[in-house]
Amino acid sequence: MDNLTKAKWDKAAPTFDLMAGGGAEKRWKPFKEDLFSHMSGRILFLALGTGLDIPTFPKHKQISAIDISPKMLEVAQSRIDEYSGSINAEVMDVHELTYEDNSFDQVFTSCTFCSVPNPVDGLRSLSRVLKPGGQLFMFEHTGSKYYPFKLMMDLMTQISRKMGPDMNRNTLDNVKRAGFEIKEVNNLFLDVVKTIKATNPL
Amino acid sequence: MDNRFFFVIGDILVCLIVGSIAGWLSSLVIGVGWNMLVAMILAMALGMLIGGLLFFPLGMLFGAMEVMLPAMLTGMISGMVLGMWSTMESINQLSGLGYGAVCGLACLIIIWVTNNQIRGVQKNG
Repeated sequence: MDNLTKAKWDKAAPTFDLMAGGGAEKRWKPFKEDLFSHMSGRILFLALGTGLDIPTFPKHKQISAIDISPKMLEVAQSRIDEYSGSINAEVMDVHELTYEDNSFDQVFTSCTFCSVPNPVDGLRSLSRVLKPGGQLFMFEHTGSKYYPFKLMMDLMTQISRKMGPDMNRNTLDNVKRAGFEIKEVNNLFLDVVKTIKATNPL
Repeated sequence: MDNRFFFVIGDILVCLIVGSIAGWLSSLVIGVGWNMLVAMILAMALGMLIGGLLFFPLGMLFGAMEVMLPAMLTGMISGMVLGMWSTMESINQLSGLGYGAVCGLACLIIIWVTNNQIRGVQKNG
């Protein structure tokens, strides 16, 4: 378990919804609902955080979910209880998934790989637990390749990574490096907020 | 950019607020006769800092990256314009606010056009 990352998110948990649960969540809700509407079969969701994404899940699904922070999952508990299906939430580090190989049909992430310390290793770990041909659906914010936005995001990352996420990750490249096959990228705001659909190699 | 009324108003407000504050502060800090290059760099940095700081309260209401990037771009451009202008002639505080707000609206249009060029689906990455 990466205790530094765990401690960072434990510390952020009590006030996380204040920053992330307002405008950002309202703005992103329709895009998340659209992405998560693809949920079917055995599903792994990471990182569940305080459960802000749960209201955008389709009804009556059986979902396994993980987060590195027990404090985040404590906040999420009331949203888990309100969900119409079932969510089995566990404290787990994406680098050390305890699931068997080829366990899941689909993996969903939501603003996750801005925070995973070793993103390519984390994505390889997801590849291991996904079935061959299994689908990866990501809602992520990433760095930009365009100036001056690239400069701004590099600057903001110096502050933001102390409290939470990096803002300048090249997540799309990381997904490719982890061996996934990219099927679709949908830029929602500039090349910064996007959804990525990829498949695990057969 | 988002077409929902709440976020359209939010996007406009973010650029107006950041632009006017960055413009006002730049015209206040930079004096007539300063080296224009130094003034430009200083005012751009000041404007980006203002945008970065205002992102936190404004972001809670109106979004994350969709607020942060316009706020920082607006701060940078508004600071640059008013900072350089202030080296040539004295600008009163009300004009600093007003011209800063105009810079904010110009940045909103730049972001809107750029976003329309970049956004959308790309198959096979």
